[in-house]
Amino acid sequence: MASFYQWFHRMGSPRWFYEKSGRWLPWLAAAAFLLIGTGLIWGLVFAPEDARQGNSFRIIYIHVPAAFLALAGYYVMAVAGAIGLIWKMKLADMVMKSAAPLGAALTFVALFTGAVWGKPTWGTYWVWDARITSMLVLLFLYLGVMALQHAYNSLDTAARASALLALVGTVNIPIIYKSVDWWYTLHQPATIKLTGAPSMHPDMFRPLLLMILGFYAFYALVLILNTRAEILHRERRTGWVQSLSE
Amino acid sequence: MHPVRKQRLIFVLFIITAASTAVALMSYALRQNINLFFAPSQIVAGEAPVGVRIRVGGMVVEDSFKRAADSLDASFVLTDGPGQTRVYFSGILPDLFAEGEAAVAAGVLAEDGSFMASEVLAKHDENYTPPEVADAMKKAHEANQ
Amino acid sequence: MPSTANRTNRSAAGQGTGFGAILIRDLLIAFRHRGEMANPLIFFVMVGTLIPLAVGPDPDRLSQLAAGIIWVMALLASLLSIDGLFHSDFEDGSLEQLLVCPKPLWLLVLAKILAHWLVTGLPLTLFSPVLGLMLSLPAKGYGTLVLGLALGTAALSLIGAIGAALTVAIRKGGLLLSLIVMPLYMPVLIFGASSVQQAVQGVSASGTLAILGALLAFSLLLAPFASAGALKVGFNG
Repeated sequence: MASFYQWFHRMGSPRWFYEKSGRWLPWLAAAAFLLIGTGLIWGLVFAPEDARQGNSFRIIYIHVPAAFLALAGYYVMAVAGAIGLIWKMKLADMVMKSAAPLGAALTFVALFTGAVWGKPTWGTYWVWDARITSMLVLLFLYLGVMALQHAYNSLDTAARASALLALVGTVNIPIIYKSVDWWYTLHQPATIKLTGAPSMHPDMFRPLLLMILGFYAFYALVLILNTRAEILHRERRTGWVQSLSE
Repeated sequence: MHPVRKQRLIFVLFIITAASTAVALMSYALRQNINLFFAPSQIVAGEAPVGVRIRVGGMVVEDSFKRAADSLDASFVLTDGPGQTRVYFSGILPDLFAEGEAAVAAGVLAEDGSFMASEVLAKHDENYTPPEVADAMKKAHEANQ
Repeated sequence: MPSTANRTNRSAAGQGTGFGAILIRDLLIAFRHRGEMANPLIFFVMVGTLIPLAVGPDPDRLSQLAAGIIWVMALLASLLSIDGLFHSDFEDGSLEQLLVCPKPLWLLVLAKILAHWLVTGLPLTLFSPVLGLMLSLPAKGYGTLVLGLALGTAALSLIGAIGAALTVAIRKGGLLLSLIVMPLYMPVLIFGASSVQQAVQGVSASGTLAILGALLAFSLLLAPFASAGALKVGFNG
């Protein structure tokens, strides 16, 4: 337990994180590149066409991982925010600040690819159905957190206020999702379920799994890069940062 | 009472009251059919209101699909096992619509028990049954036994 | 510990939790500025006039849209007024006094929210049948409309208070407040508007109204504490 706390507190030091994460970056980059590269080629070229949707289903290989990470990214942001609120850990504040634009971008990618996919499948770019609308609300939540981040001059206040908003959003996401779901259901069902066998054919599913893992690696990579940039920006006056540039 | 203890008491009472109200109201609401989704067997049993926009879901019965030769009028039968409802629809059915697969129709129930759909939705995955349909079929199945 | 207990003991003695005091104070202030109290109502009616001008005066079409429009307008009116919830107190420094006062802050915040609802949400609710008439809402919808708005505007005030507390220290926080709060308003809007629609169609709206009530109870659980936390954050920074 004691060693865990030690580790936890050391993690809180931006400098320690900066030095440590520098060593992770090549591995993460390689993993992301390999997984996404293999997944894309496998999914776009070798996976069989869908019996009903033809080739247009292949956009799933971008759409689903992006949607996964958009939602997971919100929880990453909220957990980082909570850690920052409770333990007043600066690193958590910075992670949270970096996670917001990244999550918003992924949400946008999920919405955009969904619209492109919707045209051949449903005959329209935009349908007001539960999942699309929930994703749109998620984008709004991200944008709200980002806007609040920028509204405060003090970094600490900005971090705490937006962490609080992110946490309130976390409590609300299931409610918003449920109410929008009740409001209208039209979207195709969840093809990947956490329990039970996936209802996709394995030949189509395996590349998707690779893409999801690849997106996770990519997410971690970009989040760490963003956080490192934020660390350098905030600690630019400290000795250790200045010695980096020498 | 000691003021600090009194504050704590108010806090605890407040949380308990609000939480139990929320739970009680939700459980009441869940017992109502709020999204107006009915299975064919419920319509046969007369549970669905007439003249109100509702949704019916079930499997499209094999060989029940009829299309008029000179117009877009079509009709088919939805079933959840014990009950059957004939659905009338005028318009272009979705590509994924097929006999033996799940479909959801939104529209108005007529006095004679037939359903006038203004919208027909088909689900795109072969393995998939919409959760509402699956639920309704399971319930009907249990009621049968 | 003993020193805190003593301090609490002294100041809290004989004055309850401060809930009543704040409630009465805020109601008095609102009463002395009666003109301001009417603003959200006037806004509510004016937008109600704009809709037929834009959509056309056809009663059939209006009656279809009425439930949704009234709810969206009530939401906007509530959003406009929630900005002022903590603002004047922030400017004259009394908000700081509330923060350092040893009473439980969430109760004081709850009192302010209740006062705010009594002077904005409640009049809006009572006034909504007039709007229903203007937009030719079918007769079956009025009871549900009033009941739903009573529950819904209270929930909106509570949720909005979180946003108001988060943005109180920011100059020109009004637009930001709407940006933050609107996604959180959506469930209330969905269930509120559909309860009226169900009533108009002749289906029992009791289930939907119960969900609105549950949303209200849930926001009671969340909002006073979140807003109290947000006020502290805004001041310490």
